[in-house]
Amino acid sequence: MTAAETSILESPRRRRVTLARLARASVPYWLILPVLLAVGAILGYPLYSLIRLSFQHYGLFELIQRQGQPIGLDNYRSVLQDRVFWDTLARTTVFTVANVALTIGIGTLLALLLVRVSTAVRLLLTGGLVLAWSMPTVVAVQVWYWMTNYENGVLNYVLTELHVGDFFHHDWYATTFSQLALVTALVVWGALPFVAITLYAALAQVPRELVEAAEIDGARGWRIFRDVTFPILKPVLLILTSLSIIWDFGVFTQPFLLIGQSQIHPSNYLMGVYLFEEGYFKSDFGRGAAISILMLAIVAVLSVFYVRKMVKVGDAA
Amino acid sequence: MYGRILLAAAVMAALAMAASAGATVKTPSGQTAGSITVWLQVDAQTGWPDAVAAANRQFEQAHPGTDVKIQYQNWGDHLQKFDATLAGGSGPDVIEMGNTEMTKYMAAGAFADLSSRKSGFANSASWLKGLAQAGTFAGKLYGVPYYAGSRVVTYRKDLFTKAGLRQAPNSLAQYRFYAQKVGKKNTSKGFSPIYIAGTDWYFAMSFVYDYGGQIAATSKGKWVGRLDSAKSMAGLLAYKNFFKATSRASKTTDETRPNPYDVYARGQAASMVGPSWFSCCVGDKYKATSAQFVMPSHDKGKPMPGFLGGSNLAVPVTSGDKALAGDWIRAFTDTASQRTFQAKGNIPNATNLLGTSVNERAAVRSWFVPTAKHWVDVENGNILRNMLAQILTGRLTIKQAASSASDNIASVLNRP
Repeated sequence: MTAAETSILESPRRRRVTLARLARASVPYWLILPVLLAVGAILGYPLYSLIRLSFQHYGLFELIQRQGQPIGLDNYRSVLQDRVFWDTLARTTVFTVANVALTIGIGTLLALLLVRVSTAVRLLLTGGLVLAWSMPTVVAVQVWYWMTNYENGVLNYVLTELHVGDFFHHDWYATTFSQLALVTALVVWGALPFVAITLYAALAQVPRELVEAAEIDGARGWRIFRDVTFPILKPVLLILTSLSIIWDFGVFTQPFLLIGQSQIHPSNYLMGVYLFEEGYFKSDFGRGAAISILMLAIVAVLSVFYVRKMVKVGDAA
Repeated sequence: MYGRILLAAAVMAALAMAASAGATVKTPSGQTAGSITVWLQVDAQTGWPDAVAAANRQFEQAHPGTDVKIQYQNWGDHLQKFDATLAGGSGPDVIEMGNTEMTKYMAAGAFADLSSRKSGFANSASWLKGLAQAGTFAGKLYGVPYYAGSRVVTYRKDLFTKAGLRQAPNSLAQYRFYAQKVGKKNTSKGFSPIYIAGTDWYFAMSFVYDYGGQIAATSKGKWVGRLDSAKSMAGLLAYKNFFKATSRASKTTDETRPNPYDVYARGQAASMVGPSWFSCCVGDKYKATSAQFVMPSHDKGKPMPGFLGGSNLAVPVTSGDKALAGDWIRAFTDTASQRTFQAKGNIPNATNLLGTSVNERAAVRSWFVPTAKHWVDVENGNILRNMLAQILTGRLTIKQAASSASDNIASVLNRP
């Protein structure tokens, strides 16, 4: 066999090896392809439609014709010039901050409590949390409305019996503050189980030795939480916080149903409700699409702070 | 990591938004072969299911093999559901529309033109003017009158008789006088001589029209809000005073939370204002002692103008079989059906069928909302309800609340 023949024989073999390598290297991409396709179909196309819709005038007439009128940036311009939009944005930001703070704060306290109580109490508490968690939102709204209603709400009855004051026929739905306070209570109540149980799981990661070492050094309660427990919980807390921001900023079902359609008004709009009123009730779907794109952008901005922090924590770990 | 988190955030945000839209997007599918889908309001389900069943039998006899699927809807969200089906093209073949909701949809071309079939519908030559107008746009018929209803007073005859009332009051002042006497004799906490939901704008606007005011009017081709006119404000003041003197109901709630008849059935009200079918639900305890009268005007001897509510039946342009849909409407609006609606306390759709019930007598003086394309946005935007809550709670003066509402109404109605 000549040298030339050898090289001819060898080169296909080398190519074969390269192909096999390529095939092996591409396996991960093939494996994630179905997921990418599914995500593309489920998220990509609707997002594309939404963006296209936001540049069109699309009302009832266009809906029936299935043909929008391209109008460039007019929808965005009209939303950004709408006073109601800016008022709603400010109200929703305050609402979101209050809700997230309460959810995370009370959730952390509950998780810490769960670690300390006896097994029986812990099971009871966890059971209660899971029950609250499994309650469909719409049903929960009905129950909350029943408890707080003007005619014979159990809340007014209890407050009166406890001599907090005369709450007979107290109208919890009379002012925006009171309405949104009720919505806050409902939203926090609904979000607590997830936060508390997740944090309880995270607390299991706190090594007992570290706490003991800190105790030997004379640290107590708050000090241990701040310097030992909190740093370990931090990544989980950041994830929970950013998720809560996203949920609470766009919340719709609770305010819309609890306040009730007939009492929804620009003076008590939250962003989700504003979007629904402008887009659906006024049958101005293009403008509604523009509002949801703006909401998406705002939520992204609100989350960036936390996302960045989370990345830093992730890198450090 | 960064990208993954961002993607996760985007996914969550999109889901959150999808969830908010989800409430309306879910739509029962429309036609399958050999069936038509009809959207009626729950009123038919609770009030006159027998008429629905009779119409279905009659229709299915005429069209063997064709099923009628009745899907009951709620007033609160049926339009949003309907919009979603227009986009999806799988909506109902027949839809019940409130008479104040028709104009917007007729103007957008959502309904099929039924003009050529008009003579085929029973009593179409003598349809109630208000309902026929609500179903007509640019001279074409899109909505067949279904039934109408006026609002009357349902009251506890025993309590009012004890207070000295011998026959139906003939003026607003007299009704108020006896209601206050009833109140003095029934001092249980929260008892309303007249239960009036604070933001019941149908009732409040009756005061406005009774005092010669109106909600809005056209001037030089533009809508102008008229609630801040002297006459309208006199009506609003009368409403405020009447409420204060006679009702312990919430000043900010509507007439469905709670239903006035639930308060009445618990014995917490001596009378209430609402559709005449409220007599259905006064509770077994008070069934025998309950009666109805026409709401009296401040002008002695006259009835107060009441809101003439009503429904029309229309065929959406997306219907797969408009001829069948029209046939079902014909069956459901024939004279026999109308007699059933009438027996349940409604006003039939034609003048030749009118009787002398309290409901029908109350319809003698009536008012109707401004017939503007965007009127329904005024209703859904709760401009009137919010104004009433502001007035009753005293947060704003009548003048402040009425002028702000007038401005809002004008800007909504004048939208292109």
